[in-house]
Amino acid sequence: MFSTSTQCKYWMFSISNEDELSKLRDRANQKHIKNYGRQVNDAAKYEVFLTSEEEKIMVKRYELHLRDFCKRFQPPMPRYVIGTSFHYFKRFYINNSVMNYHPKEIMVTCIYLACKVEEFNVSIQQFVANIKGDREKATDIILNNELLLMEQLSFHLSIHNPFRPVEGLLIDIKTRGSLQDPERLRSGIEHFLERSLLTDVILLYSPSQVALAAVLHAASKLQENLDSYVTDILFGEDGRGKLEELIEAVRAIRSMVKMVDSVPDRNQQKILDKKLEKCRNPDNNPDSEIYKKRMQAMLDEDDDLFHAISAQNSSMDNSALNMSIASP
Amino acid sequence: MDDFTCPRCRTSKFQNPSLKMMVNVCGHGLCESCVDLLFLKGSGSCPECKIPLRRNNFRVQLFEDATVEKEVDIRKRVLRDFNKKYEDFNSLREYNDYLEEVESIIYNLSNDIDVVNTNKKIEQYKKDNREQILKSKGKIGRDEYELEEVLELEKQMEEARKKEIHLEVLEAKKKKIREKEALIDELMFSNADAKNILDTFTQLAQQAKEEEVKKPPPKVTQFSTGIQFGRQPQSTFIPVPTDEGPLYSYKALDFPPDGPKPPTLRDILEKGFISHVRSETEQERAGGFKSNIACSRALQDAMMGLFYSKKSVV
Repeated sequence: MFSTSTQCKYWMFSISNEDELSKLRDRANQKHIKNYGRQVNDAAKYEVFLTSEEEKIMVKRYELHLRDFCKRFQPPMPRYVIGTSFHYFKRFYINNSVMNYHPKEIMVTCIYLACKVEEFNVSIQQFVANIKGDREKATDIILNNELLLMEQLSFHLSIHNPFRPVEGLLIDIKTRGSLQDPERLRSGIEHFLERSLLTDVILLYSPSQVALAAVLHAASKLQENLDSYVTDILFGEDGRGKLEELIEAVRAIRSMVKMVDSVPDRNQQKILDKKLEKCRNPDNNPDSEIYKKRMQAMLDEDDDLFHAISAQNSSMDNSALNMSIASP
Repeated sequence: MDDFTCPRCRTSKFQNPSLKMMVNVCGHGLCESCVDLLFLKGSGSCPECKIPLRRNNFRVQLFEDATVEKEVDIRKRVLRDFNKKYEDFNSLREYNDYLEEVESIIYNLSNDIDVVNTNKKIEQYKKDNREQILKSKGKIGRDEYELEEVLELEKQMEEARKKEIHLEVLEAKKKKIREKEALIDELMFSNADAKNILDTFTQLAQQAKEEEVKKPPPKVTQFSTGIQFGRQPQSTFIPVPTDEGPLYSYKALDFPPDGPKPPTLRDILEKGFISHVRSETEQERAGGFKSNIACSRALQDAMMGLFYSKKSVV
């Protein structure tokens, strides 16, 4: 039930409220600069740090990466896994800065977690087999970030994707509507939903609204008209008052999805990448010295702890048997 | 015992101390070698009463009187069917009547009185009480159970006593040796009169003998691990914990649909929604996943949240 879900309660944002999402993202950006940019004076701070807008571009770019990665994934991934990973990825960067956690790392972690949550069963070995480059490092990154990601999602892991509502609408159209062969709509719907994942609509509108927009869009592409179905059959008597709002929502969704430009600007990309490399938080960068040192320290700590415990255990064993084992 | 002779070969216990008398259902005895000889083929007839007998029914005669053997045999056979227990009766009186009847049947059979009628009676009883007989077969009556327990206990006590005696004997032997050595030491090294020494030692030995009073072994009711054996006087049940507090009352969950009302499960079947979804496979049905449920879920998901807007929630 979407209406009782954590998704509805905590992860839906208002569009009218002077763009709640942008505000939150700005705040994350400001917070990061405040925490890590004390020695940089205000005038030059955007020379060093990414602006909120630049961060947004980075996130968008990695959303494209996410989509491509999921499409190429072996074994082929069901689309609700992709939808869920998009949700996680977007949610993460609402309250976190790109400079703090690199989207490349969060992206794979999101997909890995989505596979688990949506019961698409792949082991970590199978998973990293899809990643080019150092697989061992990737494994470490994913597993290290997994808990952080869940924490940042407030452990709200169940996601309502628009795919099931689409099925429901198609069943309803077949049963009550007058459209000829509704299966024709499918390719249009799928295309629309895929593009919708690249926008913020999934954070602004309920999955059923997105699904309805997808169906209506696909129908209009085929020069069919489903308006009477929506107004007379779907909404009927009890939904009369809400119709206007829904029409507005559908229009907004369609225009937002239409605006998606999926071709990134290569030059800008390179500049941003360089800038990010400079202003990344070294605490969370697996390539930085600080990070390596800290991990080593943690490992040593673990080792020390392990040694201490095992020493204690062995001494207890010996004393319990009331004899000491002569070491050879 | 001396006039114990095989009726066929006239061998007596006197001539052959290892003579073993065997007896069969008819109650006529035969010695072991005669049985071997006569029943070489596995079956034959009794040399006295010509009743056909089977070899494997022969067993060693326990009682001197062969008729007692016969009676025991018959009793065993009859009791196999008449196996009601005291618990099966409502009153002691009925039980006693039943026992009386069983006794009279056994008496009749063992003394060849009215054999035909008595056998008929047994057959009739068997027919009437077949179920009861089968049921009681596995059951051990309380008397038997107690008897078994007593036997077990006796066995254990016997063992304990044997052990104790054995230990005592050993101890006594050791003591004697020790005393002897002490006496010899005294005689060797002491300056006192040899006669005096002997006297004191004999006195000591006397005293020790008197002190030896047999202590009965304590009754054992549990293993060394503390587990009780034997039957406890009353088997206890752990009381079932009862929940205190007000009873749970079910309240139907209230889902705000936040959209048009989705069709009910019944509507799905009746209004034709079901014809547009894949019907469930056999395995899915076995798991309780019917296609109308999946269909209902999709429709619910499609309709719920259609009225959603952030303003209404804030």
